[in-house]
Amino acid sequence: MRRETERETGNGTRETWFRRAAQAVRRIVGAPDYDAYLDHCARVGHPPRLTEKEYVAQFFEAKGKGVRCC
Amino acid sequence: MKRLGSVLLWGATAALGGAAFGVLALSRGETVNAAWLLTAAVCTYAVGYRFYSKFLSTRVFGLDDRRATPAERFNNGRDYVPTNKWVLYGHHFAAIAGAGPLVGPVLAAQFGFLPGTLWLVIGVVLGGAVQDFVILFCSLRRDGKSLGQMAKEEVNRAAGATAMLAVLFIMIILLAVLALIVVNALKASPWGLFTIACTIPIALLMGWWMKRWRPGKVGEASAVGAVLLLGALVAGGWVASQPHLAPLFTHSATALTLMMVAYGFIASVLPVWMLLCPRDYLSTFLKITTILVLAVAILVILPPLRMPALTPFASLGEGPVFAGKLFPFAFITIACGAISGFHSLVASGTTPKMIARESDARLIGYGGMLMESFVGVMAMIAACTLDPGVYFAMNTTPAALAQASQVLGQAGFVVTPDFMRELAARMGETTLLARSGGAPSLAVGMAQIFAGATGALGGGGRTLDALWYHFAIMFEALFILTTIDTGTRVGRFMLQEIAGHVWPRFAETSWYPSVIVSSAAVVAGWGYFLYQGVVDPLGGINSLWPLFGISNQLLAAVALCVGTTILIKMGRARFAWVTAVPLAALVTITMTAGWQKVFSADPRLGFLAHAASLVGSTSRDAARVIFNDRLNTFVALLFMTVVTILIVTSLREWWLVLSRRKMPVVHEAPYVETEYATGD
Repeated sequence: MRRETERETGNGTRETWFRRAAQAVRRIVGAPDYDAYLDHCARVGHPPRLTEKEYVAQFFEAKGKGVRCC
Repeated sequence: MKRLGSVLLWGATAALGGAAFGVLALSRGETVNAAWLLTAAVCTYAVGYRFYSKFLSTRVFGLDDRRATPAERFNNGRDYVPTNKWVLYGHHFAAIAGAGPLVGPVLAAQFGFLPGTLWLVIGVVLGGAVQDFVILFCSLRRDGKSLGQMAKEEVNRAAGATAMLAVLFIMIILLAVLALIVVNALKASPWGLFTIACTIPIALLMGWWMKRWRPGKVGEASAVGAVLLLGALVAGGWVASQPHLAPLFTHSATALTLMMVAYGFIASVLPVWMLLCPRDYLSTFLKITTILVLAVAILVILPPLRMPALTPFASLGEGPVFAGKLFPFAFITIACGAISGFHSLVASGTTPKMIARESDARLIGYGGMLMESFVGVMAMIAACTLDPGVYFAMNTTPAALAQASQVLGQAGFVVTPDFMRELAARMGETTLLARSGGAPSLAVGMAQIFAGATGALGGGGRTLDALWYHFAIMFEALFILTTIDTGTRVGRFMLQEIAGHVWPRFAETSWYPSVIVSSAAVVAGWGYFLYQGVVDPLGGINSLWPLFGISNQLLAAVALCVGTTILIKMGRARFAWVTAVPLAALVTITMTAGWQKVFSADPRLGFLAHAASLVGSTSRDAARVIFNDRLNTFVALLFMTVVTILIVTSLREWWLVLSRRKMPVVHEAPYVETEYATGD
């Protein structure tokens, strides 16, 4: 079985290009990405257990434990 | 045919890099263009990446794309997320780059541009990038475990505890020295202080925006924050020119110290989304854009280096910026750009949980560190474009400047008070004398480069100097404050965890009494060293920066020790030199430096000699300075002891495994085959 590392975006329309760019920027700065979570839930096959608000709150809490370098 | 092309290309790259080094090394007395420095660095990185990192990933580590990474196995859409390698490269770089690679090279410029550049370029290819890569690899094979956990499992429990203790102490010294840099940059600078003070309400607004009002909309909040920040930068100039407003933002170093301490405490106690996260986003965006702009600006104007290749202080050891000879202090001072133990915390933190396939670790671990070194080279260029006279006047306290005046005069590194006044006025400051800590001189260098580039592109040129200067100050202060936010918090978590072994309730990270007590303890720790640095007549940076460099590189020694142990246990003992050689070099450098800082007979260098020179002094401060010298002695000896323990326990472990007295057990996560497509 072949799976993509990023979300499946076959068609190169302007909208998908923009979404992918926005997702890349979010990942680089370490911003929450609820779409990635929904994607993950769909792939594993369970309904999302967190609302967007809960997801964002948990994400920030986890981010606060990360290290920034000098 | 393809092979021949490759041989020609890499042969030419190596030859070009060699030629550039030749120009740098052989130029004496004439001005060298920064282009040579850039060429030498980039060619070395390219050759190091193409050959050495390939050797590491295929022969030494045996990266295997068929093996599923933690991101694939534990994918939860939150912290374990398989990520495109270029995106993750950006993420990793943003997490490892901070003020360190900018400040270290600026301070090391007192020896001239050559020693620092050589260490930045050679140190990273053979040491720093190897350290980041090996720790990333080890953590990747262990479900993203932290350095402390790996030390505990792979070496022994004592090593794990030692590593954790080392991290806590290093954090305290690091926060103190970074806070000192901000204090020295903002003292008596209403423009700078106003801009930085504005970042607090801006961060609060952003936090409310992306948590409460529009959850998760980091992009919108950051865009608004960035516009407000630039507004605050321009408004700062106006505030500084208003006679009734300027005094409100003009403060002494001691007053700023208290503000920093109060700020650090509040930031550690407040929920992360209010201050820490928004500030982090703001500084990440600013960091990436500024570094890109700086690189372009340097390429556009290719400034000449006015600092000579070597200054007299390299061999005299009586430099006014910091005391000590080239060996070991050039290596200690350039902390982060060449090798930084701190990176091992990031490489065993968020990054390994996001790698999609094992071979990506080469670009992210090794390549990410090369980029950090390149930032260090740019900082070196910015500092060396300053007139040496200006550089020394800015980075030295009046007392140290007076002591070194003869050597400075002979070398021609002099500058008139009028010139310094005119330069300060051009940068929108009241004075630029004795602004030690590196940030202001880097800001002047960057302002000249930016203003030169805008001039070359048809812009306002010199009229923008003051704005660029304060932009550079804001840029550095912003991400130093981010490090202070996160560092105080991480320090508090560690303290809570340690105290939790005695009293379990204390380990609850959301139990307020514990949060307040542990935050206060961490803040008091770095606040004390900061205060001591501010009131130190020799400038604080002189004793604190080497202490930070020593501690940071000792943490790198811890990481390399863990890496070597794992390589030996994996049955790759014949390749263990890749980490053992940089480990031996680092231990030699840091132990020599630590020994000299403690026991040197020169009062400017040795803590004990300095304390002895004050015995019998009638000065009111003498007793306090003597106490601080003894405290610094204790801290330096503590670091050295901690690392000695770790090395001895590791050596024992290596000997047991190599002499087959002990079964080599590696605690790797079991092999699971990837479900991703491979081979493309």
